[in-house]
Parts: sequence; structure tokens; C-alpha cells
Amino acid sequence: MILQALDLKKYYGEGDTQVKALDGVSLEVERGEFVSIVGTSGSGKSTLLHMLGGLDNPTSGKIVIDDKDISELKGDALCIFRRRKIGFVFQSFNLVPSLKVYDNIILPIELDGGEVDKDYIDSVITSLGLSDLLNRLPVKLSGGQQQRVAIARALATKPAILLADEPTGNLDSKTSQDVLGLLKTTGEKFNQTIVMITHNEEIAQMADRIVRIEDGKIV
Amino acid sequence: MFENRTIERIEQMLDSAMEGEFCESDYDESKLSRLESKWKKYLYSSQLAKNQLDETRRNLEGLIADISHQTKTPMSNLKLYSELLSERILNMPDATEEDRKIISQIHEQTEKLDFLIMSLTKMSRLESNIIEVKPVNAEVDSFVGETVGSMRYKADKKGISISFTKDDNDSPMALFDVKWTREALSNIIDNAIKYSPKDSTIAVSIKPYEMYVAISVMDEGQGIDENDTAKIFDRFYRSEKNSDVEGVGLGLYLAREILRKESGYIKVKSEPGKGSEFIMFLWRG
Repeated sequence: MILQALDLKKYYGEGDTQVKALDGVSLEVERGEFVSIVGTSGSGKSTLLHMLGGLDNPTSGKIVIDDKDISELKGDALCIFRRRKIGFVFQSFNLVPSLKVYDNIILPIELDGGEVDKDYIDSVITSLGLSDLLNRLPVKLSGGQQQRVAIARALATKPAILLADEPTGNLDSKTSQDVLGLLKTTGEKFNQTIVMITHNEEIAQMADRIVRIEDGKIV
Repeated sequence: MFENRTIERIEQMLDSAMEGEFCESDYDESKLSRLESKWKKYLYSSQLAKNQLDETRRNLEGLIADISHQTKTPMSNLKLYSELLSERILNMPDATEEDRKIISQIHEQTEKLDFLIMSLTKMSRLESNIIEVKPVNAEVDSFVGETVGSMRYKADKKGISISFTKDDNDSPMALFDVKWTREALSNIIDNAIKYSPKDSTIAVSIKPYEMYVAISVMDEGQGIDENDTAKIFDRFYRSEKNSDVEGVGLGLYLAREILRKESGYIKVKSEPGKGSEFIMFLWRG
């Protein structure tokens, strides 16, 4: 098991005005699995993803990633853990505009002071159909192409988990299918564990397993 | 300073081991040297394990080849004799209804066994990489046209028509192994025929995307429950409500494995009671 969430709770406020964004969520993900978490807006799915990614702390409960309880990690240690173990793909791509495609992809490796595994990166680039775009700046790319670069960047460090938050939220349905197809096949090729959040049923169907969340609980 | 050098050396050791080319540098009384020797020993034992695994795989390949080869002759004899016997019984004036039922059962089960052995052989060959899926750049239209053509007879027999729509102005290319992909597409169309009612239509169409070319097979059959959509690709999976329909539960599994090996994938959309749509996505490369 690569990821385990145990009875996660996240409450905001107190008394009558208390909001239970997450109300006792437990989840297990096996290595290499592609899981989608589906819910409407306000269901708590984004809160869950933020917890899993160590971007936010739960009120109570525990998250174990790659045998490490991340609630034990604080400050810099948590930051480094995130950089090495978790790859993020966001709705809004978040590429660095002044860096060319290739430099965007290897950025997380360079930040970590590591050496680029050329063969692996080349193989990721080919799988995602990015070979001809490496010298371009993000502004010269379509939305689908930008998201493919973001996926390559998330895979660059061979993270334990790739977390995708509405990865096709800014793309038309045809491009969405393309991007998700690549995410799925590339994930399988590198035995990459993927957890994806979405409100879109059709998108969710691409995963091996669908987890539904409603009112802060898994249904 | 010294600590840095040690760490650097350990990182090098790991790197070269990952490349599969680790060599011990010096042999001296230092802890680092001892660590190197231990590291070498560990790598050797894991290499040994890998060799053993390869050996097992080769044996397995041999076994599969033997099974498929050795069962071929008895299987075809069995089929032949059961056919002869059934002809004789059907012509016998004093044969009872039960005799006929029994012989037709024998015949049916023999066909099923034959099909099962064939599918199992294909599956294990595919899985143990004895047969390689070799994707080449090829035209999708003509490939789908031919495959649909070869399935028409079977569909006609059940009173099902297959329509095939393509865009005449755009003839997309994709990277796929024609022979194996035909196996995958045939399996999907074959399922559509099996699970569709009489006088219905199966619609096959092609839709190019930027990275993939999609081949869609849409039927007007019973559809698939949402809980089952992930399971239908499992080995030997058969829906309980279809126990009367012939099959062994390997077709979709094979199809998915084939697509995976050529960097494509299969997606299913279904509405119970209305029909299912299976979409094969072939990678354009």
C-alpha cells in the first residue's frame, strides 16, 4: 500500500456555524493504482486532496504515504517530502512562463539538487508526445499541450503519488480525452500511482477505481 | 568534507548499480570498502534471483508451447468424432430426443473447450511476451473496414446489422499491430453481437483526436451495470445474468492487454437497458 488515509476529519469554525469539510474519511491506495475521487463542488474532495498532498493539516486523523506518517513532518521536512514524493497536476497548469518546456519538466529535479535521469525523462517526454515541443515557451502551447507538460513535470521526480486536481477543468472535452488517455497510459507504463479529483463522471471512468465523496464522507 | 566524499561515493554506487554496472573501487580496511563488498554481494544475489526468474519464464514458455501443440490433435479428433456421431444418431430411426440432446451437448462442450484452449494459449503467449505486439503506422479506416467485414456473416445470422461510418476526407493513421488489434476489435464486436437483441444495429465509427484515433463500437444491447464496468476487463469475468450466453470471459481481457501493449487503451460507456459503447484508443505516436 502506497497511501493510507485514516479517519480524516477537517472542521472549520465551532458550534452552530461549524463546517465539516471532511468527516471521517478513510482511503487506501495500492501502488500503481489509478483512483479517481468524484464529488460535487463542496463535497470535500478538494479538501481531501489538499490533505493527501500535505498542503493542509487535518483536524484529526492520519495520512501515511510510502510508509511515512506525514503529520509527523513539519516545515522544511514536509516541503522536501512533498517535492520528492508527490507530483501535482492542477487545473490551471501552473507552468513557469519564462522557462522552456524542457526546463519546466526538469525543474523539480533541479530544485532538489538531483541529477536528471536522461533515459527516464526522454521516455516520459515521448510517452506524452512532447518531443517536438521541448524548446517552446508555455505561452506558445495549447491548453492540452500545457497540461501534458505539467504531467511530465509531475512525473519527473518519479513521485510515490501523482495527485491531479481537476486536470481537465480548463480543457474542451476532446482535448480532455487526449490528456487523460496519456495520463492513464503513461501512468501504467511507469507503474505510477495516480489519485485524481474530478466532478466529471466521464473523466472519472478512466480510472481503475472510483471513490465517491459526499458531504465530507465516502459513500 | 570527508563525510561529503563518502556520501558522494555511496550515491555513485547506487547510480552504477541502477545501471547494472557496479564495480568495487578499492579493497582496504575502510568501512566504505567493506560497504562496497557487501553491496556487490547483495547485487549479485538479486541478479541471481533475476536469472532464476528468467529461467522460470523460459520454462513456462516451453510448457505453454507444448500444451497448445499437444492438445491440437486430440482436440480436432474429438471435434471430428463428435460430429460423425451426431450425424449417425440424427439418422437413426430409433434415437430418442434425449440421445439427440446428449450428443448436441457433447458437440457444444467440445467446441467450447477448443475455444477455451485457444484463448488461454493466446493469453499466455501475450503475457509472457512470447508473441510481441509490434505497432506500425497504419491506416485505421481500412483496418476497421476489413474487421467489420469479417464479422458481418456472424451478425447477419442473428439478424443484426453493422453500420460503419467514417470520414471520407480524413483517413487517420495510428501506431498499432494490425494482427493483434484485429483480435481486440473482433472480440469487442463479437461481444456486441452476442449481447444484442435480434434486429438491432451495431454502429462502428472512427473519430480522430490529436494524440489518439478512437474506434467506437456501439450496441443496443442490455448494457452494463456501473459496478461491473471495471470488472468486465478482468480475466474469466462473466456477468451472472449472462450465464446462458456462450463465452469464457477472456475476450475483453485480451483486448485490453493488446491495446496496452501498443500504448493505447479501452474505455467503456454504458447505460443499462439502452446499450454499451466500447471505444478503443489507438496511439498516433
